[in-house]
Amino acid sequence: MKKTRKARTAQGDEKTMRTKATALGAALAALAVLCAVFATSASAAPAWKFNGTSLEGTETIVGAASESSMTIPGLTTKCENFLYKLTIKNEAGTGKGEVTELPLFNCTTNSSACFVETIGAEKLPWASKLTTISSSNYIIIEGVKVGIYYEGEECVLGETLVTVSGSAGGLLDNTTETATFNSTTLSTTGTELKALASKIAWTGVFPTEAFQWHREQALTAS
Amino acid sequence: MQKHRTRVVCTALLAVALTSLGLAGGAQAKLVGNYTKFVQCPFSNLEVKKCIISTTESGEVILGKKTVPIEKQVVLQGGYGKAVSGFAPFFAAANGITLSKAPQNVPGGLLGIVPDASSPFLVKALIKFFLENSLTGVSSTLELAKPATEIVVSENNLAAEEGVALKMPVKVRLENPFLGKNCYVGSSTSPIIWNLTSGTTSPPAPNKAITGSGGELEFLEEGRILESKNAKLVDNAWSAPKASGCGGILSFLVTPIINSQLGTTSAGYNTAILNNKVFLASAAAVRKNNEENP
Repeated sequence: MKKTRKARTAQGDEKTMRTKATALGAALAALAVLCAVFATSASAAPAWKFNGTSLEGTETIVGAASESSMTIPGLTTKCENFLYKLTIKNEAGTGKGEVTELPLFNCTTNSSACFVETIGAEKLPWASKLTTISSSNYIIIEGVKVGIYYEGEECVLGETLVTVSGSAGGLLDNTTETATFNSTTLSTTGTELKALASKIAWTGVFPTEAFQWHREQALTAS
Repeated sequence: MQKHRTRVVCTALLAVALTSLGLAGGAQAKLVGNYTKFVQCPFSNLEVKKCIISTTESGEVILGKKTVPIEKQVVLQGGYGKAVSGFAPFFAAANGITLSKAPQNVPGGLLGIVPDASSPFLVKALIKFFLENSLTGVSSTLELAKPATEIVVSENNLAAEEGVALKMPVKVRLENPFLGKNCYVGSSTSPIIWNLTSGTTSPPAPNKAITGSGGELEFLEEGRILESKNAKLVDNAWSAPKASGCGGILSFLVTPIINSQLGTTSAGYNTAILNNKVFLASAAAVRKNNEENP
């Protein structure tokens, strides 16, 4: 059957419509993909939650490292009492905070020549933020600065101020409610701590527990 | 009477001889293990708190238009005391050789002709033979321009990678049979002052900022010794006086030629980059090691 001009026009309109619909579909699909991407990006900045509910306002977290040490190759310094106080909040859906106190006591070295005379955090508060990398949540502490004076007549660092500075990223574990800092977590988060102009190793496991309004509530980052 | 005198003299001589032997023994350190490298540290002086041996393994010194790569190791050793206002006074090495004299070849030698890197090997070899041989070749040797006590060290600045870590008055000796024995850039009265930093410099133009490094650290002997590898000390804000005393009796002719070869040596035209391996030790630990190994 021979197609008339009218029929051909109608067919053309239909084709145009189909093309438009396809284009719209593609655009919607692209939008959906973009939304999904943005949704993923949004999850790259997790929020603080208590019992699964996003934190409103601020909360104070306090704790003591169950283990913590700093190592420059050949010399390790440990503190028996490594306490911290962290104020947390959510800003635009992202967990943030500030380390406001970091009292360090009973610090020793693995050396028979070097003793810790004084140690203390400097330039507090230190800013902190949450981030997600490869589906794991991390807390990043920025502007870390700790001054250490070693003593000991035979210690090569005697009377030298050693300043540990930089930033540190720790892995948050929602199950155990801890933040773990080690060479892997620092490397993953692209952070580093330096002392005596050298990169140092720092390990620490910090339990997280609310001290103010959300006592005994499960603290998670997601 | 005569016999008695002779006996007294002999006894005195013997005493002097024994004392000399005793002193020689005292000066001869019996350091062992990682401490042996500090043998020239004046650790018996109780004012010395730290022993240092810094070996410059590579780097370069640019003096005006001449660039001298550091190909032979240069050793700075001695001790330093308690810091006052951040800077510690230096104590000379026990053997007096605080800064070793290592003549470095000046590429291009006397005539300053540097073959193009793409030149054939034979051309390079010929230029090297004719212009850098013992007759026409020129070497430059870094020397201390003032006593070692004029050197100052700042451990804190070295560690913090900012400010002056090592201040050193130096002079450069240019050596060549034509130049004589007294061809120097810098002198004890007009030294070149290097303010070396492990941080970033801020030189006058045309030089641009360069950055050093505190190096990678490792503690030895349970924190008694500190080793720093790849410590990079830099300064490119220093000025140097004109060369003087070159050419012996023909100095009035030769010195201007050398100065024209060097070009401008005012601040902004010179650079020192020293790549070092540094060992530091507590002087007390070195003393103890010495006492434990008589």
